[in-house]
Amino acid sequence: MESVRVMPRPVAAVCAVVVLALLVVPLLDSRYLIDLFTEIMIYALFALSLNVLIGYSGNVSFGHAAYFAIGGYTCAILLTTYEWGFAPAFAAAVIASALAAGLVAWFCVRLTDIYFAMLTLAFAMVVWGVAFKWRSVTGGDDGFVGVSVPAMLDSRIGFYYFTLAATGLSAAVLWLICHSAFGRCLVAVRENRIRAGFVGINTRLMRWWAFVVAGTFAGVAGAIFGMFHRGMYIESAFWTESATVLIMTLLGGIYSFFGPAIGAATLFVLERLTNEYTEYWPIVLGMILVGILLFLPDGLAGLARKLASYRSRGG
Amino acid sequence: MRYVLAVVAGVIALAGASAQAEIRLGVLYPIAGTGAVYGVPAMFGHDLAVDEINAAGGVNGQPLATFKRDTKLKPAAAAAAAKELITKDGVNVLIGGLSSAVGLAISEVARQEKVVYIATIPKTIQMTTTKLHDHVFRTASHTDFEGDAMARIVAQLGIEKLCDIQLDYAYGHDLGAGIVRGLARHAPDVDLVIELRPKLGATDYNAFISQILGAGCDGITSGLWGSHFVNFAQQAKPFGLFEQAKYISGGEIASHEIAGKMAEDYPDNVWSNTYELWYDHFDPSHVEFQKAVAEKAGTNETAMWPVLAYIGVKFYAAAATKAGSIESDAVAEALKGLSIDTPVGPRTINPEDHQADTGQFWGPMVKKEGVPYRMMDPITYIPAKIAE
Repeated sequence: MESVRVMPRPVAAVCAVVVLALLVVPLLDSRYLIDLFTEIMIYALFALSLNVLIGYSGNVSFGHAAYFAIGGYTCAILLTTYEWGFAPAFAAAVIASALAAGLVAWFCVRLTDIYFAMLTLAFAMVVWGVAFKWRSVTGGDDGFVGVSVPAMLDSRIGFYYFTLAATGLSAAVLWLICHSAFGRCLVAVRENRIRAGFVGINTRLMRWWAFVVAGTFAGVAGAIFGMFHRGMYIESAFWTESATVLIMTLLGGIYSFFGPAIGAATLFVLERLTNEYTEYWPIVLGMILVGILLFLPDGLAGLARKLASYRSRGG
Repeated sequence: MRYVLAVVAGVIALAGASAQAEIRLGVLYPIAGTGAVYGVPAMFGHDLAVDEINAAGGVNGQPLATFKRDTKLKPAAAAAAAKELITKDGVNVLIGGLSSAVGLAISEVARQEKVVYIATIPKTIQMTTTKLHDHVFRTASHTDFEGDAMARIVAQLGIEKLCDIQLDYAYGHDLGAGIVRGLARHAPDVDLVIELRPKLGATDYNAFISQILGAGCDGITSGLWGSHFVNFAQQAKPFGLFEQAKYISGGEIASHEIAGKMAEDYPDNVWSNTYELWYDHFDPSHVEFQKAVAEKAGTNETAMWPVLAYIGVKFYAAAATKAGSIESDAVAEALKGLSIDTPVGPRTINPEDHQADTGQFWGPMVKKEGVPYRMMDPITYIPAKIAE
């Protein structure tokens, strides 16, 4: 508990290596790997954002895809239909996600546990319904296809570095938020809401902020996703997408800051590899979920920690 | 990590470099889940075309190899799969797609990556109008042709009051619009009383049925396809809907897979369309084709989907032969105005909008002596022309 803002040295070292490795990916000259890592980074940020809510404040959301979709659609529509510049469109998308999250959170934080989770799901389905029905704006279930992306992001490598910068910066900000006094308060709320209340923490407000932070960064991930695919589709707002990111977070480990990013990368790569050999990815996904729940309650990050302590004890 | 990446990249580079002597076809159909009933038969046709071409020595001396991916009937999954086929497997062309949304998503990837995409099943008009680009071509029909043909039948049957019922998604909206444009040409006096829009995947049509009955229509135009029609018909039959009104439907419910599945339950007074009928040898080459499909499918009463996938591959092979190259721009150029013979007659791709002149077989579905299912009789081929 000694270091509040400074990363522990081993963590910082791993981060530096990962960033360096990501920096050289385009040098490998493989379009496939560039696309793969671009998408992994997007999902990693999406999962990290959800973990502010789940891991830090202890509120399980079943509707996190809504803010991803709002960010994605807003950015795509502003860029394409209204021909906004990149910077204002991107900023507006993030703000739209934040505002939507703020509004939904205002209702949701009045509830806890399963009621909270169900309400997040309900609001997410409203977002899905709007994307589905508002055909003239969102394209309905045809999807919003043909997003105009600014020239500087037109090249694959350019977009890759943009994604690396945006997700890296977002992850750094999330790290700071989670390890600030605010982050500590969230953990206190997670551990014992009543006691946290008695020591003077406004638990409802804290949970509101956690929701807003989570929604905002999901919006960042969504905006990048829409530009990367040059399209947004309603399935990005559907509850299955919320479930996917939830599983990513659980797989990585909710009690570790970087766990969800590891979970996102693992699940994403597994899905890609599985799809090459079989159409039955959902079966594999189901088995992974059962495996996590039964054997890895703290996810991959928890497993790594356990292995490390086992080795230090053994050696 | 760097080392790992280098190894990964090396393996992929090796895999990519080995045997580029073949022409790689990236194929996208739903092959598991709800879409599999269409995607699996489509793959029969695809494989048949590839086998035939390879047996004849391939294209420009190079054999065809198929790389297939499941689209899961979801546009985002289809887009990701299409991208991966191009960047990882290095496919030279994308073929397939089922559902309008999936087709548009694949087409967008084709635009970005500058790889030719031949849409074999998606029908949305947007693909060859507002969302048209240099590398997308369609060998399926489209909703304006279909709507126009339906309006002609409305005129032929002398319908006065018309009800329209379409599914609330891309195909339904586009077909509804196509019918309205067709009516203006062929049956301007018809009174279009109500337009109903049940949801895609709907199973309960009772509210819509009573609205149609109440409106007193003597004709219904519809695009309820597959299981939508099966459910609708089962619920509407007890009310005598099919006695009150003639049912003119797009969505290929005259295809044998629907007629065979519904058997005795198939209602009266249905006029519909199909791309192919196993019992109709419109073109002499159809006999051989149908026999080959029957062998693959293990039944003589084959579905209509194989022919669509088959034609897509044949068009690509013909274009690559004509171009003498598999380079995307050259193939795209060769596809413009290209004509080939298919088991359902000759087809030509319009150089302007990249749309093949794919007509369909239309007719009433009637009972036949000693046959457990309905068959189309008489069969009329309505060519792909927006007739004035």
